Amino acid sequence: MKPRLLVVDDEESILSAIRDYFEPRGYEVDCARELEEAEALLSHIRYALLIADLRLTGVQGNEGLELIRFARERSPWTRTIVLTGYGSSEIEMEAIGRGVDAFLQKPQPLAELAAIAANLTGRDA
Amino acid sequence: MQTSRLWDLIQEPQGLTTVFQPIFETRGASGGASGGGHRRLFALEALTRGPKQTNIERSDILFEYVRRKRREPEVDLLAIASALRQARGLPGKPCLSLNVHAVTLEREKRLPAWLAELAAEYGVPLDSLIIEIVEHAPPWSGPCFLDNLDRLRGLGVRIALDDVGLGQSNFRMIVDCRPDLLKIDRHFVDGSHADPMRRAVLESISDLACRLGARAVAEGIEDERDLATASAAGISLLQGYLLCRPCSPRALKKMDFMTSPEHFRELGSDALDDLTQELPRMVLG
Repeated sequence: MKPRLLVVDDEESILSAIRDYFEPRGYEVDCARELEEAEALLSHIRYALLIADLRLTGVQGNEGLELIRFARERSPWTRTIVLTGYGSSEIEMEAIGRGVDAFLQKPQPLAELAAIAANLTGRDA
Repeated sequence: MQTSRLWDLIQEPQGLTTVFQPIFETRGASGGASGGGHRRLFALEALTRGPKQTNIERSDILFEYVRRKRREPEVDLLAIASALRQARGLPGKPCLSLNVHAVTLEREKRLPAWLAELAAEYGVPLDSLIIEIVEHAPPWSGPCFLDNLDRLRGLGVRIALDDVGLGQSNFRMIVDCRPDLLKIDRHFVDGSHADPMRRAVLESISDLACRLGARAVAEGIEDERDLATASAAGISLLQGYLLCRPCSPRALKKMDFMTSPEHFRELGSDALDDLTQELPRMVLG
């Protein structure tokens, strides 16, 4: 069975790029654009991996971290990656404290992101 | 609230759609050894679907999203409007069961009056409507909630309690809401034929409903043996994929239980098998 991947970002171009890269490589990819949408999906679908932008439209602050906390509680089998263009060491420490598996800076080469995803989901890159 | 593409889609005129799942009534105490026998349509439960080709098209994800947005009241009203609109033209003016969050009943003081106006607009008799209370989180203890239930009852609308036996759908909720229908959660129905504990729960709720002047509904019937078990427990209102999956209004119009809803029909296992084989081609959800 294909590993199922949830990508959460408010930028359509990033969602498309990740989907277009991962789907031919054997992943089933769902895309969400807001925090509540991602939480609803995580509540009802079993994802192998969550890739979330740190900042999403809809709520002020670092919603990506909120999503990581949610995933840890409601979907503990889901591995997590946070992507950010605004990362500071404080935020990275907070993310690690919340149990994120990887904290990556944007822009992130897709091949490197795929290698990390493969490692987290136990697949060949 | 900032702009949300999904929220905008929900509010579009055809953003929400409705499919309907029948609740059947059996005649007699047990409906026969197999749970088959004479059945007729009792009501149609309106089930809401989200905007097509989105992540929230599925109802469970739709309402999870809506609850996280804390927008249950707006969506409940949109869903009711969609149900009444799409039920227009169904033969026999069947009873409709409409899901409403407890929080909507607490927050929307205008709900009974609004429902009465809408029903009049669509020519739906109020005594053919059932308000099914779902997701009974703490707001149900508020004064507006109970006042709304009284006013709905005063209009002739019946009250159903969903998921009886689970979470907040407990004895206090039953006593406070005084429901006409107790919908037993599928957790207790599924596998009841092989589980004395589940069977005891079915019998207990059936007996409780009877003593309260209400009726029990067994939800989630997917197995002939569970159907027979629920019937043997004295439960005469039955719902589940075994009997009929949720259908679009167009598919429903072709069903014989819709075209002769005032009459009990003999629906044996063979007829049900035919129906369930036919349905996947017509089912939306």
